[in-house]
Amino acid sequence: MSNSPRLIRHGELEDDLWRLHDITLTTLPPDEAYWMVTLDCWKVNQDSMSQRIHSVAILVPAHADSKDFLPIGVSSINALAITFIAIDFPNYKDGRGFSLAQILRTQLGWLGELRAVGDVLIDTIHYLARCGFDSFLVKEGHDPELALKSFETFTVHYQKSYPKPVKINSSQVSDF
Amino acid sequence: MYIYDEIDQQLVEQRVAQFKDQTARFLTGKLSEEEFRVLRLQNGLYIQRHAPMLRVAIPYGMLVSKQLRMLAYVARRWDKGYGHFSTRQNIQFNWPRLEDVPEILAKLATVQMHAIQTSGNCIRNTTTDHFAGLAPDEIINPLVWCEIIRQWSMLHPEFAFLPRKFKIAVSGALTDRAAVGVHDIGLQAVKVDGVLGFRVWVGGGLGRTPIVGKLIKPFVAWSDLLTYLQATLRVYNLHGRRDNKYKARIKILVKDLTPEVFGQQVDEQWQLIKDGPDKVSEEYVNEVSSRFVWPKYDTTLIENDDSITLQAAGNLKFERWLRTNVHDHKVTGYASVTVSLKATGVPPGDITADQMEAIADISEKYGFGELRVSHEQNLILADVRRQSLYSLWLELDILKLATPNIGYITNIIACPGGDYCSLANAVSIPVAAAIQERFDDLDFVYEIGELDLNLSGCINSCGHHHVGHIGILGVDKAGEEWYQITIGGRQNGGVNIDTNQTQIRGGGAAIGRVIGPSFAREQIPDVIYCLIQTYLRLRDSDAERFIDVVERLGIGPFKEDVYSDPILLKAPLNTEVVDV
Repeated sequence: MSNSPRLIRHGELEDDLWRLHDITLTTLPPDEAYWMVTLDCWKVNQDSMSQRIHSVAILVPAHADSKDFLPIGVSSINALAITFIAIDFPNYKDGRGFSLAQILRTQLGWLGELRAVGDVLIDTIHYLARCGFDSFLVKEGHDPELALKSFETFTVHYQKSYPKPVKINSSQVSDF
Repeated sequence: MYIYDEIDQQLVEQRVAQFKDQTARFLTGKLSEEEFRVLRLQNGLYIQRHAPMLRVAIPYGMLVSKQLRMLAYVARRWDKGYGHFSTRQNIQFNWPRLEDVPEILAKLATVQMHAIQTSGNCIRNTTTDHFAGLAPDEIINPLVWCEIIRQWSMLHPEFAFLPRKFKIAVSGALTDRAAVGVHDIGLQAVKVDGVLGFRVWVGGGLGRTPIVGKLIKPFVAWSDLLTYLQATLRVYNLHGRRDNKYKARIKILVKDLTPEVFGQQVDEQWQLIKDGPDKVSEEYVNEVSSRFVWPKYDTTLIENDDSITLQAAGNLKFERWLRTNVHDHKVTGYASVTVSLKATGVPPGDITADQMEAIADISEKYGFGELRVSHEQNLILADVRRQSLYSLWLELDILKLATPNIGYITNIIACPGGDYCSLANAVSIPVAAAIQERFDDLDFVYEIGELDLNLSGCINSCGHHHVGHIGILGVDKAGEEWYQITIGGRQNGGVNIDTNQTQIRGGGAAIGRVIGPSFAREQIPDVIYCLIQTYLRLRDSDAERFIDVVERLGIGPFKEDVYSDPILLKAPLNTEVVDV
């Protein structure tokens, strides 16, 4: 069970191949596929990112400030060389990541993949999806198949500025 | 009442299905206790002293007869034949079994009721004036705006996991009966240059750290209401403290940042979203408004109370009830009537299934089947023809629902206390009963005049003791129950609608001040009696209320009298004053 795929992406389950680079380091990992680095590491190295063949993913802590993503004078995130941004939920009760996702999506111009990692429950995926997440690493002990179904938990919604949960982010599909 | 459309109904049913699944997963070990805890709380389910407690929402306190009958059904089938109205326009059942809750919720959904967000760290049931839509002094009908907020806040994807619970209150009238000053957000309707909007107070609240809300925005136009709320909640969700649950309410954030800086941060966020999809359109307001079925009043009625006056002349009990339980109505010939749930010896706010059904029948016979639930834990019959008041009174009196004490000392607001609640430090129901017995002479009760007495069994302040003219708080000291007394609190002070007067805070709410060391339970009725004697001695006329005297003279004379009384000196406990 624990070996079955836990990552929901493009509306399907797949294996999570990503690994986290040593969080105590601010130097970049080797130029290989599937490296995730901390937001701090990315900030230090963002200018040299374009020289890499393999882009990285960024792991963002729940307490991150949206201003951390942008150098002064820049109004949207430089998506180049970022595979996805992952927001960490240290505990599902910590709802900061929901607001952070909204800000990334609606104010910082992040159109790429936005992943929820950490304490991601069957029961929070629907809300996460409406706040702009489009991939989800379901926590151990929660049935990933049930998690997939939670997109349909609610088929109607009140809040107009939060979209219906979509399994497939259209801006990514067009990349295929 | 508001009639659900398909979307409203579907959402409630889908939440029932989701909760059923969550309960099943918990019962089969697929959801841990810690994971299930928050999920069930977000659906109003607590695990309490005797059994789970289910809190059912009565959105903005509006209730119709068929819903009340369903509550009676739930009380009989799954509870012990009664329910308890809380101070936040909700009803609580203390005895359901966890396994039965999904079925209870499914039943409630058939009459457009639910338990969504009645607990947990999310946006709770929005409350309002218990005379909403009925009061003669309304600037706007707050029911429509409460429904708009209900829709916006229900199952909100961004704000389901806030640092702490979040309560919004709306007042649409000149007199604030919604206590907007002691809510996380208080909205007071105002009209400026003919444009309707809201004055926004943020960071009020009771509990451990009672604070009166700060005026963050003197005017938010109606079309901007939801985006302004969204901006406020976003700032709170991102920056409210999560390291200490006692410092997690928005009031602490407002205080730490200062109201000015907090207001600026909200404004910055608001500017980015104010013209977005959640801007309120006229079309939407009309759509929501059109889904309310408003009573079809008989407009030919005239104000003629001659027959009532005659009936009252020979009947002291009826005359007293008329005076305290009958309230002016915006439509000529009608009245709103408070059905008192404060009979002596009955836990405040408790109601039996039989009484619920009887009141449902009465609401149809004498009105349009509409009721309101007050945060004072009474029920209001919304639209009673004045000419029927006498026969209504006769019926209510037989049911023991005509206690003529609304606005007076024995209309005690109290939480369920230690008899039912696992959080409480002390019991509240027996204390309320003892006070009611001590003040059983109605003439004396009227002589005392208007007085709010509030009682909480612990610092969570569900009995709103901080805003009682007299407040009583149960405290625990070395395993014993003690009671701390505050005076001078009030939930409002009337509202000046001139928006230039930015000094007005919280519609005039004030937090009561502790008079001194705590007392033993059996001393409480005498302490209250002593406070009343001091008041009667010092008031300059009948018109000067208890609260006015406290404001004029401070707590000094009251304190002096209480603590120099040899009977009360017996054993006052020198507890530290808790965080006031």
